[in-house]
Amino acid sequence: MSGEGLHIDHVTKRFGSGDAEVVAVRDVSLEVAPGEVVLIMGPSGSGKTTLLLMLGALLKPTEGTITLDGLELSSLSENRLPDIRLRHFGFIFQDFNLLSALNVLDNVSIAAELTGSSRKAARQRASALLDDLGLGRRLRFSPEKLSGGEKQRVAIARALVNDPALILADEPTANLDSSQGHETMRLLREIAKNRGRSVIIVSHDQRIRDIADRVLWLEDGQFKEAVIMAVDPVCGMAVEGNKAVSAEWDGVTFFFCSRGCQQEFLSSPGEFLSASSSTSKGAASASAGDPRLHLRGT
Amino acid sequence: MFRLALSNLVQNKTRFLISVGGVGLALTLVLFFRAVFDGAEGRLTVYIDRAGADVWVSQEGVRTMHMSESALPASVVEEVRAVPGVEQAIPILYTEGMIEANGKDYIVYVFGVPPDAPLGGPSRITDGASAPGPGETIIDHAIASKAGLHVGDQVTVLGRELRIAGLTSGTSSLVSSVSFVSMEDFARVRGGGDVISFVLVKVKPGETPAAVSSRIAESVGGVTVQTRGEFASQERQLIGDMSADIITIMNTAGYLTGLAVVALTIYIATVGRRREYGVLKAMGVRNSRLYRIVLFQALLTVGVGLVTGVTLTLLLSVLIPRFNELIVLSVSMASLLRVTVISALIAGVAALLPARQLAGLEPVAIIRRG
Repeated sequence: MSGEGLHIDHVTKRFGSGDAEVVAVRDVSLEVAPGEVVLIMGPSGSGKTTLLLMLGALLKPTEGTITLDGLELSSLSENRLPDIRLRHFGFIFQDFNLLSALNVLDNVSIAAELTGSSRKAARQRASALLDDLGLGRRLRFSPEKLSGGEKQRVAIARALVNDPALILADEPTANLDSSQGHETMRLLREIAKNRGRSVIIVSHDQRIRDIADRVLWLEDGQFKEAVIMAVDPVCGMAVEGNKAVSAEWDGVTFFFCSRGCQQEFLSSPGEFLSASSSTSKGAASASAGDPRLHLRGT
Repeated sequence: MFRLALSNLVQNKTRFLISVGGVGLALTLVLFFRAVFDGAEGRLTVYIDRAGADVWVSQEGVRTMHMSESALPASVVEEVRAVPGVEQAIPILYTEGMIEANGKDYIVYVFGVPPDAPLGGPSRITDGASAPGPGETIIDHAIASKAGLHVGDQVTVLGRELRIAGLTSGTSSLVSSVSFVSMEDFARVRGGGDVISFVLVKVKPGETPAAVSSRIAESVGGVTVQTRGEFASQERQLIGDMSADIITIMNTAGYLTGLAVVALTIYIATVGRRREYGVLKAMGVRNSRLYRIVLFQALLTVGVGLVTGVTLTLLLSVLIPRFNELIVLSVSMASLLRVTVISALIAGVAALLPARQLAGLEPVAIIRRG
């Protein structure tokens, strides 16, 4: 498979052999277009990290192929992978993982220098990027003097400085408070939409659903049935179909954020359906139709 | 990457200074000990270097002054004088002995020289006469200072009371000194007839010491003939052989201390940043680059330690002789070069273990397992 974006084709990853064999990822296929934000969720041990490692060319699949912008990563020799990672991927980690001995500017510019850029060019690029991310006044700061949100923005700048095709983020909001988490999410979406980068996020943070174009649920190494996302017809809140309070009316299932909304709806369904005719049947079918909430099973 | 290596190393300034200080002191130990040895060695051959002889004639088979005894019949002097190319041939007597003064003994190399001898007599006179007459001796002023002696005082040399007629400089070391007596006194004390120790030869202008040396060896029987360079070289070789073991032990101790300090420093600096190095590997930094970081850190630590060690040793080589003239430190280029090369090797060895740590570092471990 080739072309722009990321293509994962029937990828399987096994560890061990015989009785000790563990299948961490089982026959997973996925396509991520440039500018798309994909959120992968799932319980611990579901294979999220293994999948992320394979997407980041840190681990080779046992079967299947992974192709980024026409380059088949899974067939490349180990020797070529470091350069590929340096130039084609941007990594964002839960713990920021900045280099404590370097200041903010050097933390970002070093990634550019590693690709062969001159020190001056690397610093100019890093400086511009940090300025864009609102850290123009923090260039000489040591990482330890930054807030969590600022650290994550530095990490984002580092991930972007080599203009990678794919950004891989592992729990990027886990160590951030609510406002910093929102800011990071906004940035990740902006990177995807304004810079045309594919962004894949592995997270347990439900808030990230708001910025994801797609949410995938990985369980036992496979993408499971799509989580049904719906809009509460009463208050307009996005809710998960499998967890929300529901009610059937006129042969259609509707989902609500609370029993209050459910009762309000049932007392006068027509009022809410006429108010949002486009979503009257969409409450249930929105999960499949809403591009933000499109999910894909295996 | 060198910026990262440097920043990682000096971020904890106290640790870096302790490391550099440790390496510096270890290398100072090596350099200092070598300088003391070289200084003493230089003093042990100072007579050979200053005597003014181009060629030394000794008893057959005797190639050094130390650890051997040369006895030649006095008639050899005339035989040597008759060899073409010889301008002057001066006999001297030599033995190792003691100066006794104020209840203390000092080891000296005693030379018996003819009156007004153009070769082999005292040099660099700082006080008094330039040659010992009968009943007189000339000793080094460092020994005189240490023993509280002055020109005109009496000392016991070779068991005989002699008056100090003059003082020389630059012949004393921690282990020895040079003193001159008249040949007549020397012969009287030693007894045993018409025997000399060495014949010092000055060659005529236009002649080479090597050529004249060969001619003497061919013409005079029962002697060993060496140019001044050969004789001094044999002497240094003997001294080196005698002290090789202790020098090796001291050097090994110093180098091992330096190695331990550097290895520990770099290891701690690397292990403490495992996660950061793992992140770099995940980002795409190759092992070879990480090895260079570790090697650079080791070289930097050793390099700064070496500069510290050299500076300290040079400082000591200036200061110590001001307080004790018997301790002479000679810091040679060869010694500096040797320590520099071995220090570079130490840096390489010290970087091995951290490099191994980095090689085994899995970037996968950096990303939390989900």
